[in-house]
Amino acid sequence: MTATSPARRQTLPAGEADAVQRRHIVSALVVDRPGTLNRVSGLLRARSFNIESLTVGTTHEPGKSRMTIAIRGDDGHLRQVLAQLERLLEVLEVTDLTGVQHIELELVLVEITPPRTPVEEHALAAILTAACGETLSTHPDVWRARLTASPDRVNDALEALRGLGLRSLVRAGAVAMATHPANPNETRSSENGATTA
Amino acid sequence: MTALQIPTSAPGSDRQVAPRIGARAVCEGLVREGVTTIFGYPGGTVLPIYDVLREFPLRHILVRHEQGGAHAADGFSRATGGVGVAIATSGPGAINLVTGLATAMMDSVPMVAITGNVPRALLGKDAFQETDIVGIALPVTKYATVVMDPDEVPYAIAEAFEIARSGRPGPVLLDFPKDVLQAETSVPHPQAHELRLPGLLRPVRGDIPAADDLAEMIAQAERPLILSGHGVQIAGAVDLLLEVAQRAEIPVAHTLLGIGNIDETHRLSAGYAGMHGWMHANKAIQQCDLLIGVGCRYDDRITGKTSTFAPNAKIVHVDVDRSEIGKNVRTDLGIVADAGDLLAALLRRLPQSEPRTEWMEQLAAWRALSATRSWHGSGSWREGRLSADYVVDQIGEATDHEATLVSDVGQNQMWAARYFGFRHPYRHLSSGGLGTMGYAVPAAMGAALGAPERETWAICGDGGFQMTMQELATLVQDQIPVRIAVLNNHRLGMIRQWQEIIYDENYHSAELLGPDLVRLCEAYGIPAWRATRPEEAAGVIAEARKAPGPALIDFQLDEAQNVYPMMLPGKGLSDMVEGAPE
Repeated sequence: MTATSPARRQTLPAGEADAVQRRHIVSALVVDRPGTLNRVSGLLRARSFNIESLTVGTTHEPGKSRMTIAIRGDDGHLRQVLAQLERLLEVLEVTDLTGVQHIELELVLVEITPPRTPVEEHALAAILTAACGETLSTHPDVWRARLTASPDRVNDALEALRGLGLRSLVRAGAVAMATHPANPNETRSSENGATTA
Repeated sequence: MTALQIPTSAPGSDRQVAPRIGARAVCEGLVREGVTTIFGYPGGTVLPIYDVLREFPLRHILVRHEQGGAHAADGFSRATGGVGVAIATSGPGAINLVTGLATAMMDSVPMVAITGNVPRALLGKDAFQETDIVGIALPVTKYATVVMDPDEVPYAIAEAFEIARSGRPGPVLLDFPKDVLQAETSVPHPQAHELRLPGLLRPVRGDIPAADDLAEMIAQAERPLILSGHGVQIAGAVDLLLEVAQRAEIPVAHTLLGIGNIDETHRLSAGYAGMHGWMHANKAIQQCDLLIGVGCRYDDRITGKTSTFAPNAKIVHVDVDRSEIGKNVRTDLGIVADAGDLLAALLRRLPQSEPRTEWMEQLAAWRALSATRSWHGSGSWREGRLSADYVVDQIGEATDHEATLVSDVGQNQMWAARYFGFRHPYRHLSSGGLGTMGYAVPAAMGAALGAPERETWAICGDGGFQMTMQELATLVQDQIPVRIAVLNNHRLGMIRQWQEIIYDENYHSAELLGPDLVRLCEAYGIPAWRATRPEEAAGVIAEARKAPGPALIDFQLDEAQNVYPMMLPGKGLSDMVEGAPE
């Protein structure tokens, strides 16, 4: 290839070169209708991906929903699967946020044993503060609290809570949003006639 | 407001037409889409459609099994470039379509399947003949949906056809609860511009700037090769392909579904490549320094072991589906485009090339070697035994290589691909991706109805034939002129071949008892002949060609004939088994 069009050997077959497994956070804009979730999750299942978390919610535009999918895989394999996802009629846009600036948050509800001492209560407050959380209810038998933070902070907080009597928890799964600038190569805008990214 | 419309405003909702039931709206929609022939099987939930079918200029072919209907619609699509239609009832009827849908999906064939379902109030209640066909069909269709509102029917039909034929084509399934077909709607059929399918990937038409890069690579290549696939014919770009090949002096190999992309007798034809392809085509792939894949998938039947595929070449991949690029092989240049647009863009950029004398001489030498090797005759016809290659060759000769040839799956498929001598596009139909045995007879039925100006032959083995031979009755009832050549070795030949070569001659379940095909045809009222010696072949082929309706020839083969060369599992194109040990 010439200097003006550098060789593009980056589209490698799955499993041969860039087979480093890592966590990806994928954002997909989809049509809000029955079957969309089935189709998206079915495609990931057919390719043997295990979904770490998948959240869906409405957007500011009627009829469109946003999915945030946390998933493990190697870059090449995942890139190809995302192109297949983009092919689905119900999927309007797919973005792999992993390589771009983004914010990611997770909501967790926890049940904990009520603190028995002021020291414990202080420790609990510190944990919740670090994970942008708060106490929601303080029944004599059980306290309930909320955490809203990045997955790392959530994991740290949960680890600390185990020492204080963590009884149960409900995780909402990650939601994520690209912060400017989004990576234009990962969206549909580069579709036809373009060389592959 | 339907399926994929984003509900901001309902197109057409301000217009109204005289109310009619959903079933009539379905039929109107089909007629509007240019449908003339549908393949179906009635049942309780689609009876509202059958009740009004006479009112419309739609020829309904009553198949004997819904799988046959799906393959017939697929064959109709492939032979005409249009969109075939299959109808089935709920439950088992719908499920019987699934093999045909998957076959069409793998080969990017547009078709629309219409199924009935139980009335809306019974959905999810395990009603009689209820099944979640949309759930079943999702992974084997381009799109599948249930139409829950009579007002959605006109849009659903128009959308289904648009989805099926746009971009990379594929099958679409629409499921209609029975009461949706019975209820009235005043919603008109949409105009094309009213369809808003934001999730549909459509190729941007026009010039392809990335053709600059490809033209530059061609300019620097000494031994370029085009590997052309089904996408070239889907794009209607066969003539452009030849122009590019001639302008740049690039030989053109083809995949199984790329048969017909170039006249096999053309000096630039490099032949059928892959697992059972010609050695000269495969050697060209392994020796070329630039491999340009156009409208193909680089699937495992072409590449074998990908790490040893085209080791000396820069690999270019042109496909309308971005997710294909880089999926199977390393790609030096990937271009997402319609094959026709890319070839046109390339043609505008290419100067007339000097003859590539050395490369063409090398190819000619390999081709000559292929012609002299024993697999070309598969040996035995010269010794007075009837061999499959001879039968296929004789059908090709008799029909002047003009016929539509529909092959089944297995050895017969490879013999048909290798020995018919194809000259034109849209004449070779085969289940390439899914490898669906039983495809040939019903698909030939659809092809014969879609392209009646051409003679239609189905070539199948005795195994595949027995999978869908119930369609013989359909051929008789509608007098559909399909000539069936059964390459009858009383074996599952490809199974036997694998067991011989790979499983140490441990033959299990490869022997296949079948009926006396001539007497079977007699029972159906189909003229039939049996040939057991090479000198009988031409005569029975000529007789079968004279039949006004369907006809069948039972060619009794030497059962031990194999298809060579052969690429063994896990091996690459450079380790082909060229023939049985002498």
